[in-house]
Amino acid sequence: MIKITNLEKFYRTEEVETIALNKLSMHVDTGEFVAIMGPSGCGKSTLLNILGMLDDPDEGSYVFNGIEVAQFNERKRADLRKHNIGFVFQSFNLIDELTVFENVELPLIYTGVSAAERVKRVEEVLDKMQIMHRRNHYPQQLSGGQQQRVAIARAVVNKPKLILADEPTGNLDSSNGNDVMELLTDLNEQGTTIIMVTHSEHDARYSHRIIRLLDGQTVMENIMV
Amino acid sequence: MFKNYLKITWRNLLKNKSFTSINIAGLAVGMASAALILFWVQNEMSYDQFHEKKDRIYQMYNRSFFDGKLICWGTTPKPMMKALKQDYPQVEQAARTNNANYLFTLGDKRLTLTGYHTDADFLTMFSFPLIKGNINTALNSMKNIVITEKTAKKLFGDTEAMGKTIKIDSVDYFTVTGVMKDLPNNTRFSFEYLMPWSYWEKINGREDKNWGNNSVQTYALLKPGITEAYVNSRVKDITRTHSDIKDIDVFMHPQTKWRLYSKFENGKLVGGRITIIRLFSIIAGFILLIACINFMNLSTARSEKRAKEVGIRKVVGASKTSLIVQFLGESIMIALISGVVALILVAVSLPSFNQLTQKQLFIPFGNPFFWLVMVSFILFTGVLSGSYPALFLSSFAPVKVLKGTFKAAQSAFSPRKVLVVTQFTFAIVLIISTIIVKQQLDFAQNRDTGYKKDNLVYTFMSGTVDKNYALIRNELITSGAATSVTKTSAPMTEGWSDTWDYTWDGKQEGAKLDFNMFNVDADFSKTMNLKLVAGRDIDVKAYPSDSTAILLNEAAVKIMGFKDPIGQIVRNSDNGGSKFKVVGVIKDFILQSPYEPVKPMIIQGPKAWFNVIHYKLNPKNTTAENLKLAEDIFKKYNSEYPFDYHFVDDEYSKKFADEKQIGTLATLFAGLTIFISCLGLFGLATYMAQNRIKEIGVRKVLGASVLGVTTMLSKDFLKLVGVSFLVATPLAWYLMHMWLQGYSYRVDISVWVFAIAAFMTTLISIVTVSFQAVKAALTNPVKSLRSE
Repeated sequence: MIKITNLEKFYRTEEVETIALNKLSMHVDTGEFVAIMGPSGCGKSTLLNILGMLDDPDEGSYVFNGIEVAQFNERKRADLRKHNIGFVFQSFNLIDELTVFENVELPLIYTGVSAAERVKRVEEVLDKMQIMHRRNHYPQQLSGGQQQRVAIARAVVNKPKLILADEPTGNLDSSNGNDVMELLTDLNEQGTTIIMVTHSEHDARYSHRIIRLLDGQTVMENIMV
Repeated sequence: MFKNYLKITWRNLLKNKSFTSINIAGLAVGMASAALILFWVQNEMSYDQFHEKKDRIYQMYNRSFFDGKLICWGTTPKPMMKALKQDYPQVEQAARTNNANYLFTLGDKRLTLTGYHTDADFLTMFSFPLIKGNINTALNSMKNIVITEKTAKKLFGDTEAMGKTIKIDSVDYFTVTGVMKDLPNNTRFSFEYLMPWSYWEKINGREDKNWGNNSVQTYALLKPGITEAYVNSRVKDITRTHSDIKDIDVFMHPQTKWRLYSKFENGKLVGGRITIIRLFSIIAGFILLIACINFMNLSTARSEKRAKEVGIRKVVGASKTSLIVQFLGESIMIALISGVVALILVAVSLPSFNQLTQKQLFIPFGNPFFWLVMVSFILFTGVLSGSYPALFLSSFAPVKVLKGTFKAAQSAFSPRKVLVVTQFTFAIVLIISTIIVKQQLDFAQNRDTGYKKDNLVYTFMSGTVDKNYALIRNELITSGAATSVTKTSAPMTEGWSDTWDYTWDGKQEGAKLDFNMFNVDADFSKTMNLKLVAGRDIDVKAYPSDSTAILLNEAAVKIMGFKDPIGQIVRNSDNGGSKFKVVGVIKDFILQSPYEPVKPMIIQGPKAWFNVIHYKLNPKNTTAENLKLAEDIFKKYNSEYPFDYHFVDDEYSKKFADEKQIGTLATLFAGLTIFISCLGLFGLATYMAQNRIKEIGVRKVLGASVLGVTTMLSKDFLKLVGVSFLVATPLAWYLMHMWLQGYSYRVDISVWVFAIAAFMTTLISIVTVSFQAVKAALTNPVKSLRSE
């Protein structure tokens, strides 16, 4: 599904140039659950942003589902992204002014799904995440665990092929954290490819494979048994 | 998708109540101000544009050299109308007008009403529809009269006016042959009735064939297809070919230009009222722009708050376009709410605005075109104010905003700073202009008029006043109502007559010099407290030869070049040539414009014609007592007419009405501009204080004082106000310098004006900003740092 080759990304300020990704190559197959680990500043988040087409690489190749996307402009990337990729963030990133239902509905609006179909699909996914009873609440009225479940619901409502999760349990206690990991595992078992950035060895154990990064390069890959 | 935008817009508005109210208040006040000005501009532009034949109607103008300058004027000789119709095949119709002022008697009702004497073509040339009567025949016979609806109501109440008889001036009976729809609020014409020209000829006992007496307006309707240039080439010589006057050219001034383009300089049309229209349109535009700038500033200042939303929407699939549409929709919605508030504001303030501008403006709720303009106005405001924030917000990169590393740029030339400077530049220009307009007004008002206005009253000589003048004058004094009485040809505040028909020894051959003409009776200088600078007053009793005596003012002595004016002989062509002897010189007094030098004036004695009685009220009685006594005396000798009187100082102060109006409008709009700008500044200061709350916390932990923090926060804004002042100063100086050029008597622009403006603006901004700055500085740092 994903194949990147010699990917490079630099950050420049007036005086310093920082290398975030240094000729990084890797691949992820359809249906895999991959965890990316490494110390702060190793390039995990940069890699995730590029994989999610929120950012573009300076050098190298990125083939997504057989399409070279490294040189895509913003509009093309956005189009590819909204049909194929769901995001889950550490800080949930729900819109405060919208209700649970409306937050989950948002991706469907942007992909042009009809109103009736939207209600059906949002209700379906809220049901699956067991937050149906909270559908008319605002994010601030929910616990962290509930908010993250809304965020996951939003990520999967469009039935994406790939879910990118950036420390999804970072702001949660261990019990809520485990719930979220179970949810992701379920999604993976139903066929969704998942790439997750995490600091937690515990969470990483839910994955099939751990890629460890240091200074923008792959230093080790562990295959989970 | 639209519903989703609407929902989030609405919730955002409710959630940030202070932001919303600042935004809506600013926009609404800005839109209301702009709308008021635009109503005014629209009214001015529409003056006399409703006449169906407006493209073919012209007013006759004269052009001639005076004292080396080419002067144009719009009054013409009376015979010009007939000459146009008889000798010029290009002219389809023509009509004269001059003012009529008669006593109307109907049973017990007595009213003095003003109207026009005019020719029958008037009704068919212009589009003043009759409710009753026929425009083709209504003015066909001498004793016919056309009255307006209002006049009909005044005279007849609710009963039928058509066909009724009215007594005019106790001598003639007129039949109402037409009732006219009331004049609209956008015409130069102002009359309560129209009566046939033949009546003027009857009253004056003759048909005036003099081509040297310019005293009526003459209008011509050209046949279709005749161009202005062509007809001007034909009528140029009309005065030359019909009289022995050889130095006057005649031309036609088109109706479409009457209101806005009627200022002539050196024989050329150089504009006119259009300057003020343009100026106020620009002001309207700027006020609206300032209100929109507020919106832009507040929206972008809040960008940190909206950034997260933008990021999330982009991540889940929003395109940049859909975000621009969303933010524009928000600003249009705010503009819509503001528009409704503005409409209410306009409706509430229109009566006062009308009073201020002497207009009868109204909101045309029934007119679909008005709603179309209103909707476009709201859309325009919404798009104008929303465009920059929409582009700004939609361009955020989601990677940055969602990671929390996002901070709005703080460069030296950020657009937000430029916008604040624009606002304050405009506000400061208005403040400076307001001060200078007021100074100019004070300056002119304090100018020495040359005579004493207090307790001085005048009454027009109507009915039998002229015949009984000696008796009235005597009784006014013996009754104790007045201390001094005189009669004159015109009120002391109006120049009614001027002529270039004077010659004297030493006058340069061919020089055409114009003099104001003024006629006075005995006790003139005493009643007016005028100073004689040489010679003596005209006094027929003591000097029988004074029937041909004249007085000159100082300006006349100067222009005539007399070293020793007393005893000089001045001639004119009256009665085939008359001689006058100068017996005295009076100090210059202001008859006409207080902004212009006093014109040369020749004053004739008691054998000339008179229209007005001036009398100085007795200071020992109250004004009411004096007026009651005077009323009884006038009623006794002029029983048919109501007693009318005018205070000279009231009439004099009307000379300043235009400048007072400009002054008040400038003050009003300067005030509103400052209000809107300060709302914006207040909003910006609020967000700045919020955004820097952590920085303030850190600074306080490290030992910064409240005063230190307040100063730090206020300083940035004051710098912007300072820059605005630097931009505004030359601009305001230039504008006011140009404005003052229109006045011969004018103030010098002093440095103090700029100092006062700078001080006021600084003070207002400090008050606005420091409230938020102090509040931020007083916040306990523990609170602001805890969330880190």
